[in-house]
Amino acid sequence: MQFLKGIPWKYAGRKVLLAIPLVFGVLTIIFILLELAPGDASTKFLNPDFPPEVRQMVIEKYGLDQPAWYRYFIMMRNLAVFDFGRSVTHERPVWDLVADALPNTVILSLVTLIVSYPLGILMGTWQAIRQNKPDDTVISVGSLFFYSMPSFWFAMMLQLFISYYLSNFVSGLVDAGSLPGFMRVFDFDVSGMYSNDLLIAMSMDEPWTWGQILSDPLGAWQERFPWWWERNLSMLHHLVLPGLAMGIASSAGAARYMRSSLLEVIRQDYIRTARAKGLSERVVILKHAMRNALLPIITLFGLSIPYLFSGSVLVEMVFAWPGMGRLIIDSIFAQDTPTIVACFFVSTLLVVAGNLISDISYAVVDPRIRYD
Amino acid sequence: MSAFRSSLAALTPLSLVALVACSGGGTAKDAAGGPDSAKKWETRDTLVIATPSDIGSLIPVKPRTAADSFIVANLSVDTIDSDFDCTLKKKPGLAKKWEWSDDGKTVKLELDDRYTWEDGEKVTADDIAFAYELAGDKDVASPRFGFLEYMTEDARPKVVDDTHLEFHFTRAYDRDTQTAHVSLTAMPRHILGDADRKTLEGHPFATQPTFFGPWRLAKHTPNQSVVLEPNWNFTGPETMRPKLSRVMFKVIPEYSARLIALEKGDVDFMEGVQIADVDRLRKEHPDDIRVVLRGYRAMDYIGWNGSKYEPFNDLKVRRALAHGVDQQRIIGKILTGEDGTVYGKQAISTITPELCGVHNENVKPLEYDPEKAKALLAEAGWSDTNGDGIIDKDGKNMSFTLVTNQGNKRRADAAVEIQSDLKKLGVDMQIDFKEANTFFDKVEAREYEAFLAGWSAGLYVDPGDVWGTETPDSPKPFNHVLYSNPEVDSLIDRGLQTPDPREAAPIWQEVQAKIYDDQPYMFLWWQNVTVAVSTRFENTTIDLLSPHRNLHEWEVPADKVKYKR
Repeated sequence: MQFLKGIPWKYAGRKVLLAIPLVFGVLTIIFILLELAPGDASTKFLNPDFPPEVRQMVIEKYGLDQPAWYRYFIMMRNLAVFDFGRSVTHERPVWDLVADALPNTVILSLVTLIVSYPLGILMGTWQAIRQNKPDDTVISVGSLFFYSMPSFWFAMMLQLFISYYLSNFVSGLVDAGSLPGFMRVFDFDVSGMYSNDLLIAMSMDEPWTWGQILSDPLGAWQERFPWWWERNLSMLHHLVLPGLAMGIASSAGAARYMRSSLLEVIRQDYIRTARAKGLSERVVILKHAMRNALLPIITLFGLSIPYLFSGSVLVEMVFAWPGMGRLIIDSIFAQDTPTIVACFFVSTLLVVAGNLISDISYAVVDPRIRYD
Repeated sequence: MSAFRSSLAALTPLSLVALVACSGGGTAKDAAGGPDSAKKWETRDTLVIATPSDIGSLIPVKPRTAADSFIVANLSVDTIDSDFDCTLKKKPGLAKKWEWSDDGKTVKLELDDRYTWEDGEKVTADDIAFAYELAGDKDVASPRFGFLEYMTEDARPKVVDDTHLEFHFTRAYDRDTQTAHVSLTAMPRHILGDADRKTLEGHPFATQPTFFGPWRLAKHTPNQSVVLEPNWNFTGPETMRPKLSRVMFKVIPEYSARLIALEKGDVDFMEGVQIADVDRLRKEHPDDIRVVLRGYRAMDYIGWNGSKYEPFNDLKVRRALAHGVDQQRIIGKILTGEDGTVYGKQAISTITPELCGVHNENVKPLEYDPEKAKALLAEAGWSDTNGDGIIDKDGKNMSFTLVTNQGNKRRADAAVEIQSDLKKLGVDMQIDFKEANTFFDKVEAREYEAFLAGWSAGLYVDPGDVWGTETPDSPKPFNHVLYSNPEVDSLIDRGLQTPDPREAAPIWQEVQAKIYDDQPYMFLWWQNVTVAVSTRFENTTIDLLSPHRNLHEWEVPADKVKYKR
């Protein structure tokens, strides 16, 4: 409860209120950009395979011939009540499309965050303690190398070297009996969320309806559970490569920040005092230095939430991960305005939320910081 | 959101512990839920097809992509089926018989009465009528709307009884096309009758349809996979029962990821392998991957726009430019494999060479002859009078810009080769790569001097859209170069109104010869479409009509089975 007291509620409320005009501003800019781009959702019907009437029908059906200001006004009015409308290409409610894709992106980003930050902090701390030793230099060069590498390129290299060469090598050895069967865990699929075997098995599975689950909860549990774990383990396995492609840069970034921040803290007087008191180096670093050195990392953490979201666009394409990135790219190519707007709505919210989280957590961990 | 919650829950350490603890669990539901085993026949193995995008809509009157139509073709039975061998060879499908009236204005169909929908309802003539009702509905905005163009209002079609129906037309026309127009796939009125037509594509049927063909859609996981399994309730001929246990379409958007997945064996089938990669597949995987050529369906050309750059109005100039480009060399460079296999063929018209009776083999492409080209240009008044290396006339250099779309490596390479050939004639051609939408907008508005683009050829001949003269009453949005030749116009009219395709063939040949003489395009080449498939599969049909036709015939020998489930 001590934790709740630290939250600057008033400040958070003001930030949330300020986010409303921000979201609408961003969406307005997106709308203008889409208007300025050539073509619209009917363009794909401009093809000798279709009679010209079809394009006209599509234009009338979606009101694409209405003036831009009118469509903008309608869109904003609907957005005000969270009505995102229907996708022009899928003719499904946009929210359904987002609901299919968003959880997958959230999983990918969360796992990446959860793994990459502790790893980065660990590396940074190690580097600070061993400043200017050979291992510090090696990690520094390594993290700079990964930090400056484009994630989509790294993703493709992972596919080639890990899921092709390494996997073929490992499964060859397992087949020959030189390695035990569990080593197949290093046999990574090139893309997707589940293995082919699991996708086949899942196609044979009749989903339980809510009615069945309620009438026979125990049966549902017994039957669903084996599926549930097999499915999620397969998903975790398929998360490794895309997570690595996305996380390695943030890990390297976090390591750089952690190193410099910790080095700065170690030189402070209170650390010298702690050492003078005769505390062990371990306690000095972990208990006294780390807490203060972590402050900038918290800011970085909050800010990287939206970054991970946008960074996932290319990685999702390469690894065929069915998330928001794919939805955004597909809808941009199809010039599906309602879907594009909904996607950017979600990502703007994430930017706002990320900022807010880092501001608030800053205040929570550092009592000196006050937002008035 | 329940999937969301359960997936997130999986990531907590507590549930991970639980996972390991229960690892002995089996898949209790495997055996349950399926149809009676008595009804099943023997099947084995799964074909995994890599596809760049998810299914859009499996509603036959509203397919979003060609891939959608190929899947529907396996889930259902075509009303009138076809094979391809130089021409479309029609054969019975859902319709046992079809016949024309003497004046060619009525087509009568008799349906095979043994087919039933997956849910057991009979497939009737009314289901076909329903498909036409949807195709003609403005709210649906069906790409198949054109099928109804010449059908009379009261017979689109007229249902006589459950197995008989008639289509009445206002005029007789090419019978191949007419057959296609009466073969729209039947749609279940008892399921979709009340569906909202404005949002038909958003109906669950679009991704979880019910048909009456040899396959059924077992599961669609958005943006991941589509799994087909045999339709155990299939009531059609026994010869059409699938021999594979499953066909899975796996969505992999990136070309390189599809290729690695193919080489690794994650997928068994992919389309559109690039030539350099075909060479490698043949070298590195000779025993497990087979590369098949589907045939020529796509061509490239350069369109000359005389309304924007006046010199292109001169036939001599256009012919000179064609003589000046060494197409054989360019094909050798960009459309030929290391082993000498040629994947391109010089084009002389927009009709694919695969239509052997119709494509004019007597038209020989203009030969590469730079001297002749220079002479023709000189005849037209173009020569380098000011010594700057670029030919000129009336004080103006021959200098123009060729636009093409970004992201097509073949076209980019071709443009550079053509540029260097033309430079030898003293012609200054600049290349401008535009983003695809901008490019097509510009081409549509005819705002360019020359453009490099392509056509994908249909198997029904109708050159009117591309080559007919544009008039205020009859806009021709695809006649991008504003070609106009009254002789060609009247030939096209005559060809379209000739019901017998064999009689129409000589007319189409004449049309091609006349257009080639006029050189409104620099016709470049046809490219062969490549498909790579695992050698495990036998009896495969990969042809011009579909990359994976008649999937029910595909099979795997018992000793090569990969997926046991």
